Amino acid sequence: MSSLRHKAATPYLFLLPALAVRGVVYVYSMGRVVYLTMTRDTTFVGPDFIGLDNYATVLSSGQFWICVANSFAYLLVTPVLIAVSLGAALLVDSGLRGANTLRLPLFIPVVTPTIVAAVAWRLVFAEDEGLVNSGLRALGFDGIRWLTERPWTLVTAMTVTLWKGFGFYMMVFVAGLLAVPRELREAAMIDGASRLGVFRLVVLPAIWPSIILVFLISSISALKVFDELFVTVKGVPIEHQTIVPLVYEYAFGRGNFGIASAMGIVLFVIILAFSMVHLRLARKGEQEAAR
Amino acid sequence: MSEQRPMALAVFMYAMSAMLVLLAVGPAIWLVLIALQPPGTDMMSVTGKPTLQNFQGAWEQGKLGWPLINSVLVTFGRAALNVVIAALAAYPLAKMTFKARETALLLILATMMIPEQVIVVPMFTTIVGMGLYDTLLAVLIPFSVSAFGIFLCRQAFMAIPESLEEAARIDGATSLQIWWRIMLPLAAPTLATLALFSVIGAWSELFWPLVVLQSKNNFTLPVAVNELIGQFATNPRNYYAAAVLALIPIMVGFVLMQRWLRPGMFAGAVKG
Repeated sequence: MSSLRHKAATPYLFLLPALAVRGVVYVYSMGRVVYLTMTRDTTFVGPDFIGLDNYATVLSSGQFWICVANSFAYLLVTPVLIAVSLGAALLVDSGLRGANTLRLPLFIPVVTPTIVAAVAWRLVFAEDEGLVNSGLRALGFDGIRWLTERPWTLVTAMTVTLWKGFGFYMMVFVAGLLAVPRELREAAMIDGASRLGVFRLVVLPAIWPSIILVFLISSISALKVFDELFVTVKGVPIEHQTIVPLVYEYAFGRGNFGIASAMGIVLFVIILAFSMVHLRLARKGEQEAAR
Repeated sequence: MSEQRPMALAVFMYAMSAMLVLLAVGPAIWLVLIALQPPGTDMMSVTGKPTLQNFQGAWEQGKLGWPLINSVLVTFGRAALNVVIAALAAYPLAKMTFKARETALLLILATMMIPEQVIVVPMFTTIVGMGLYDTLLAVLIPFSVSAFGIFLCRQAFMAIPESLEEAARIDGATSLQIWWRIMLPLAAPTLATLALFSVIGAWSELFWPLVVLQSKNNFTLPVAVNELIGQFATNPRNYYAAAVLALIPIMVGFVLMQRWLRPGMFAGAVKG
């Protein structure tokens, strides 16, 4: 690599556009957001430094903790997402006749804009005459308030998240499975391992890094969820939603940038903690694989 | 392996596949069926004679012409920016030795951890301060450069043999020429995959355009469709037709570009 000659400034010129955009957007804004959390509602008056009061307000707000609890509940979508997308990947990779063509239809939800997905699922979960409630009523049950009442608002939005996400994660798992040589699996079968045994002892260890990756990406997006809730359960009181809709409500509904930013920072800390857990798990997996 | 599979297992797998496909395409098809029903009929019935009347209503009353044009512009613009800027940044990160290399990599990785929802307030005030509020540029630029794209391109460039680059250097090629003539063509499949994902992401984006766009003529399609909720009191089916209209272009695009959807592309992302 070092044998190639280039002018000293060249690498920086190549990097300039990327670093300029990401620097302004992320680094500058992150600094600015920390500053905003220490100011009072400033839309018209100008900055008014108040120290950590906003954090105190946020952390002592019952509404905030309800939304945090809802966000954590929303994380339940992650294991389901992993199970469904891994199952789909195993089917695609199974060598079953026609299995490869599954990829295309299963990717359609990924391509579908979230707003369209939300509109479609609103039809399925409509409380008066939607498919699900009509079915429930036909079976003699009461309809469920899918679009207006916690925890059902969360379940409905999680369904949209699951629907829109599993095709993407399926591709990640298919990529992981490509790395498990078919011969290895066949050899294990010939040696008398059961199908379950092959999966547990050969396939699972090989795709463990993919599982960890999907776990990380999907739990972070679950914590950041906005679009699904915003459209699917539109207009429902914020206590039936999660953190980001609450941030949006404070910032652009009430114009309280200080409080909204403080909530954003708390969310950032939660996400950071999750990333740490991920790093731990990934390292543990590597150590086990090394043994 | 397949020839030894017991019959019952194969049947089970086909059943699961059918269920997954139904789950994947069912809601979208249901939406299309509802949108194709004549206005005034029972909302959830799909047995009437299909008509395009709702689509006409959605298009005209919803004024979706500008949003469609805006969405196309923003989507292509963002995909192009993402591919070009990521490929530019990835070249030195993959192939050059320089002092700040590790720092630059770390910086890009660190910005990946910041969710855009956390910085939406200062981004909003920055956009307003630059006089870009309610313009397409505000949607186009800020989140156009993905760290994912930079790492994806870097992975692809690292696989290109040194010898090609060396030969070009000896022939007197500049770094920019090498990037253009060697790196980009050889990494074309990766760039295409990145473009595909940028297009899908940009077409769907709702949160940020919702924050920075205000006038109807500047809306992107998702924002426009979102604004239409409850606006068709006389014929709610128009709303579903509007949603389908936002779905059609991306589906067409996806079918045209689907050969770039190769799982091998993700392998690097997993390892990285």
